[in-house]
Amino acid sequence: MSNVVTITGVKKLYKMGSEIVAALNGVDLKIDSGEFVALMGPSGSGKSTLMNILGCLDRPTVGSYKLLGKEVSGLSDDELAIIRNKTIGFVFQNFNLLPKLTSLENVALPAVYAGLSSKDRKALALDALKKVSLDDRAEHLPSELSGGQRQRVAIARAIAMKPSIIMADEPTGNLDTKSTLEIMQIFRDLHAAGSTIILVTHEPDIAQTAERQILVKDGKITKDILTAHTDEKIDII
Amino acid sequence: MKLQTIEYYFREVIISMIRNRWMSFASIGTVAVSLFILGVFLIIVMNMGKMASSLESQVQISAYLNDEISKEERADIERMTRDLSAVSKVEYIPKESALKILRERLGDNRKILDALGESNPLPNSFLVTVTSADAVKTTAAAISDLYGVEEVKYGQDVASNLFNLTHLMRFFGVVLTVILSGATIFIIANTIRLTVFARRKEIAIMKYVGATDWFIRIPFILEGIGLGIIGGTLSAIFLRNFYSAMAEKIYTTLAFFPMIEQYPFMNYVTLSLILAGIFVGILGSTVSLKRFLQV
Repeated sequence: MSNVVTITGVKKLYKMGSEIVAALNGVDLKIDSGEFVALMGPSGSGKSTLMNILGCLDRPTVGSYKLLGKEVSGLSDDELAIIRNKTIGFVFQNFNLLPKLTSLENVALPAVYAGLSSKDRKALALDALKKVSLDDRAEHLPSELSGGQRQRVAIARAIAMKPSIIMADEPTGNLDTKSTLEIMQIFRDLHAAGSTIILVTHEPDIAQTAERQILVKDGKITKDILTAHTDEKIDII
Repeated sequence: MKLQTIEYYFREVIISMIRNRWMSFASIGTVAVSLFILGVFLIIVMNMGKMASSLESQVQISAYLNDEISKEERADIERMTRDLSAVSKVEYIPKESALKILRERLGDNRKILDALGESNPLPNSFLVTVTSADAVKTTAAAISDLYGVEEVKYGQDVASNLFNLTHLMRFFGVVLTVILSGATIFIIANTIRLTVFARRKEIAIMKYVGATDWFIRIPFILEGIGLGIIGGTLSAIFLRNFYSAMAEKIYTTLAFFPMIEQYPFMNYVTLSLILAGIFVGILGSTVSLKRFLQV
């Protein structure tokens, strides 16, 4: 299997007054194509920073990040935006849907930025909505949908451009148990269909869904285990 | 750029202007008032410039004579003036004619001359026509040196004063432009900032799903341009009405004043004001985006 993500010696340093704080302090990570990875860690661990770097929302201060074999750590903001548009699909805890747009329009949004025609956008968006079984809610506004349905729209938006990675940041944090199960099933289905998924969560039972669990603490990866067989892959500590 | 994208941008701009209608109204008002004031300055300066040039190009010199000189001496002055190389015509204007001309010029106000009674304070004079404007100054100097010539007057005197005044007005115009542009840019920047603030969540979402910085910026810049164009157009409409009203008033009272013809002059002014509106719009929105939109 080919590497989708290869991170080597990544540090993210912030200047706070006269002190330099390392949000990430030397991270090495490889994620293969088709893997389902849960990224865990307490708040302030550097988990969000790692997520931002993986999602091309931020750049490492030091180190290398190869996405699909291409070095992306030195790219410009616009180049990163294009990578986010074509390679990465985001799902967030608070759905992040545009309230004035219908489900279909929300899902079609990445395709707008990719410059696709209205017809192609609609086809892509409908296809993605079908995958989350919400094609019958295409013309509904987010306010007319339940939390679980909104998150399904967000997932449809994340997969519309057929990205190489789906990044989900606490996707079930705002959902009831029933919706949580539904959403996790969708992620499992996407994984079964071959998608690479990185799931950020602090709930151990959600992390159990993933086949691999990575624990971030004090800006470092402190645990990297396979869930299915519970055998330790790497154990730094 | 794709048609859908352009459509998207225009929809965004109109929605945003309506959403922040009071700020948009304030911005448009500021642009309109500022550009109107600048426009008034511009047309005054340009008209003064034109008047100065037209005075400067006048090729007539008035040589006022001493009352005491004899007829022979006057004839000498006339002969010597005629002998000057650049002089094409010399016309004698006795003081009686001068008074008559003045009486005519005063029109309804001619009564003030009654106070003079029988006396005539005006001197005899020669009206000297010169072949070219360039020769006016040296010819005037030569005439003033002649015995019996009291004073020499020609358009350049007034013209140079007028030019000085024009320079001064231009200077104030520049200062005013800087101050008013600053105020306008500030107001536009604030309006755009409100828009950015109102849409910050949307902007974050757009960034997540891969909108490039320019894709995010363009609607805001277009909004700035839109505010500028509307303000600029309003100021141009006011100014056109102002100029035609002024022109009408001046033609009936100061018919000799060489005002710049309304067309195409006012078309250029209109275009300049709209371009200036666009310029402050772009500047205002860019300033705001730089400070408040971390993309």
